[in-house]
Amino acid sequence: MISRYIERFSTRERVLHWFVTVTFFTLLLSGLGLYSRLFTGYFNLFGNGINAILVHKIAGVLFFVSSVLLFLDNRTRVTEFDEDDREWFRQGGGYLTREDSNLAVGKFNAGQKMFAVFIGLATLILGITGMFIWAPALFPRWIVQLSLMLHGLMFVGSIMFVVVHVYLATIGNPGTLEAMLWGRVSRAWAKHHHPKWYKEVTRENQ
Amino acid sequence: MTDTIKTENRKGFLVDTSRCIGCRSCQVACKQWNKLDADKTKNQGTFENPRDLTPALYNRIKFVEKADDKGEMSWRFLNERCMHCGDAGCMKVCPSPGALYRTKDGIVAYNRDKCISCKYCVSACPFNIPRYDQDEKVSKCHLCLDRIGGGMAPACAKACPTETLKFGSRSELIAKATAAKKTLYGVDDLNGLGVVYALEGPPEQYGLTANPSIPFSIFLWKDVIKPLGILGFWGSIGAMLLHYVTIGPKRIEEEHEEGKEAGHDQ
Repeated sequence: MISRYIERFSTRERVLHWFVTVTFFTLLLSGLGLYSRLFTGYFNLFGNGINAILVHKIAGVLFFVSSVLLFLDNRTRVTEFDEDDREWFRQGGGYLTREDSNLAVGKFNAGQKMFAVFIGLATLILGITGMFIWAPALFPRWIVQLSLMLHGLMFVGSIMFVVVHVYLATIGNPGTLEAMLWGRVSRAWAKHHHPKWYKEVTRENQ
Repeated sequence: MTDTIKTENRKGFLVDTSRCIGCRSCQVACKQWNKLDADKTKNQGTFENPRDLTPALYNRIKFVEKADDKGEMSWRFLNERCMHCGDAGCMKVCPSPGALYRTKDGIVAYNRDKCISCKYCVSACPFNIPRYDQDEKVSKCHLCLDRIGGGMAPACAKACPTETLKFGSRSELIAKATAAKKTLYGVDDLNGLGVVYALEGPPEQYGLTANPSIPFSIFLWKDVIKPLGILGFWGSIGAMLLHYVTIGPKRIEEEHEEGKEAGHDQ
């Protein structure tokens, strides 16, 4: 008898993903007070601003390394866009209607690919600009000024993407979170959301 | 915390460069009053010394040495220090409330204990003034807060033998200098500088920018990206909630599929 479930993410992928998640939210909480004085209360989570900066630096290094690794693990799958991906974009991923859209989707849909590429790029930019902001005295002033601006911009882009990511991976698509929690999805889920990938893996198994 | 400044209460300097003889009494008096250590410097073939502000040097005389066509040397002296901008870049970016603050006299003062060593002020200053000391705390001219609080002139102005540095009500100083037909710098820039100069030539000759402003990237960061980012965050949350209650989640008819598969498998 064939199992009702199929493996979607390996243990390594899941652990790496949640490591990135934890460091991301640590960066968010320790960085909010630096983003604006409106959020200065978030410094209290770490005792004071000096500690928050220290935590931000440590979490920054951990996030950079793990996020780059996560991107590299999936670099081929998330950077190759084909005609099916263009169709996905044209139909807004089927999210603009209640009807079934029957889109041909591989392991990742075009939106997930876009998210991965954006976070990959943002990680690079946030990491590099973060380094300039870390030690401003070692670099020309205009580079540090530009870095402060880009760091804020990339943060805003990331947090907005993350809001969408969290929504779509939880209540927006029931059954999706399981893939990242224990690694498996139901066959019905796979057929429905990633039919091309489903065919790919079931063919391999049989 | 918004930065508000009352023009009528504002105190400041009028620096009449034509009177400066480059004696550097201001540098020494500042060091003495604020108990700042001497910086070790090198002879670099100029009378200008030190060549830059340091964490232990809140003001200095910048020497502008220039030879004209006939080889005649001209010297210009400029007292360099925190300008106590009306619209201060350092205060705009400082994330620690009360670390950099404005006094009722309009002075940009600071509290070392509240400084969290982020160094944003170093990057945001239009004049590249703030320095960090060995404790990683901000340091710059605070206009001898303790002296002016007691009704005295700042140490530098007190020591100036030629009255180049005049301290007092900013509007009165400007009115007097305008009446004397002086060419003034910093009257309106950055909502008015707390240090206004009477110059004898174009500002560029003194190493000053003609129209000082908050660095463009810093403006984009704090006045554009910051507010739009907050809006964008709540906007995306709102959009997701709206999606959930209008179009709704993509549910899979699990039971149906399961039954079919079960039948097929057996």
